[in-house]
Amino acid sequence: MPDTTITLDVFRFQPDGGGHARRSTDGPTFKAYRVPYHEHWVVLDALNWIKDELDGTLSYRWSCRMGVCGSCGMMVNGVPKLTCAAFLKDYYPGTIRVEPLTYFAVERDLIVDMDGFLGKLKSVKPWLIRENEKPVDEGEYLQSPNELASFKQYSMCINCLLCYAACPVVGAEEDFIGPAALAIAQRYNLDSRDQGAAERADALSADEGAWGCTFVGECSEVCPKNVDPAGAIQRVKVDNVKDWYRKLLMPWGHR
Amino acid sequence: MKQRYGTPLGPTWFLGRAAYRRFMAREATAFAMAVFLVYLLLWLRSLGQGYTAYGQMIELAKHPISVFVHGLIFGAVLYHSATWFNLTPKIMPMYVAEEKVPDFWAAIIMGYLPCVAVTTVVLWAVLRSAG
Amino acid sequence: MTFKKSNEAFWWSLFSAGGVLSAMFLPAFVVISGYVLPNQSSADPGRAPYEHIHGIVSWWPVRVLLFGVIAFTFFHVAHRIRHVVNDLGWRHHTAPLSLVCYGGAFAGAGTAAWLLLTLPSVAQ
Repeated sequence: MPDTTITLDVFRFQPDGGGHARRSTDGPTFKAYRVPYHEHWVVLDALNWIKDELDGTLSYRWSCRMGVCGSCGMMVNGVPKLTCAAFLKDYYPGTIRVEPLTYFAVERDLIVDMDGFLGKLKSVKPWLIRENEKPVDEGEYLQSPNELASFKQYSMCINCLLCYAACPVVGAEEDFIGPAALAIAQRYNLDSRDQGAAERADALSADEGAWGCTFVGECSEVCPKNVDPAGAIQRVKVDNVKDWYRKLLMPWGHR
Repeated sequence: MKQRYGTPLGPTWFLGRAAYRRFMAREATAFAMAVFLVYLLLWLRSLGQGYTAYGQMIELAKHPISVFVHGLIFGAVLYHSATWFNLTPKIMPMYVAEEKVPDFWAAIIMGYLPCVAVTTVVLWAVLRSAG
Repeated sequence: MTFKKSNEAFWWSLFSAGGVLSAMFLPAFVVISGYVLPNQSSADPGRAPYEHIHGIVSWWPVRVLLFGVIAFTFFHVAHRIRHVVNDLGWRHHTAPLSLVCYGGAFAGAGTAAWLLLTLPSVAQ
């Protein structure tokens, strides 16, 4: 153990007992671990050290360690962060409290249940929809640099769910489709190759869709990829308003 | 249904983070603006009732409480204007010759400058001659 | 997942229009009502300040403009207050809340229309 250490206060919850003789009805607890302090370590390094050296039962998701896979999102001192990008030196010498992402059901320790999110994501049909798929031998769907630029920012999402943990509407309304899924829907609506806006409209224009959002804006602040879901959702609202008035004025026309 | 971590949110949820407090301050400007709208209607009514009623309304406006409340409303209205202008480019990105104008400049061009122009014209109209 | 149709688009469009108009005009209006007008008539207690402001407000383009600003701002305010109360925890049985907020906005806009329509013009 080096001279300098830092303490991590880690959320523990093991519904099956997990060697801790705990039951699912028990509330969560926090366990303090003292880990070596290195300037170049991130919270994920510290968690790995805990798992290797102190407590092999600690459960959490991680993969790439470089902000690409989106697996290691957790609450670090109450703020949703990719733990691979949260440096210990930014918290030293204070204690670091590590919790699972808020507003999700906890499976075990720092692992949250993503099923609800995946269902919401699917509900906005996040793929290219064509009225008529053209045969492969007719070539690609061409796109200009400007057409690409119009949605590229929204396509950078890595589904890390930090935006959901930052969104009070997600906390209050379990059915709210949420920042990432709405931004991804807008990404496809803006894509020049896509013709599926009408198929996504039911979800996007519902109270559970863009209208659930009250533009707190924190989703965009915590996003590690600068996707700006808050901006995307407001643009969904503007598009929806246009649709709403178009239908009002021209009820005979299709969308 | 599994209990979600961190829910339910209590009525003071927004106190927990600075960004949430700013959000709630932004939304709460509506209450100040509601008070001002009611005042504006009363003022309009007195204007229609003639010189005497209008004079009484202005006497009311000179009261320190009215001055104080106007100060609060002014702060709220400025906060509303600033937040509104800052967020406008996110909702309607501005393009010039297919190039996106940076949000900072878009807010100035679409929000702050027109607001300064409107304020100048309105103040000029009211202050002209009768000042 | 199945989704219910929402009319939020309509209320939001009024909210946005009111947001823009109030952000542009209210700073000037508040300064005038809270500072300019009270100080003007104390410097000059005659009828001139009254007639001046009356002349401005009763000019028809100004009446229309004032109605627009006031009416849309009422809907802006109503929509925001509804959502603030929502966000503070009133998330079920929200119909009475919407009724009070938007009903108030209709009442406010109607009152503004009536006051501006019945405002006497300046005698020439």
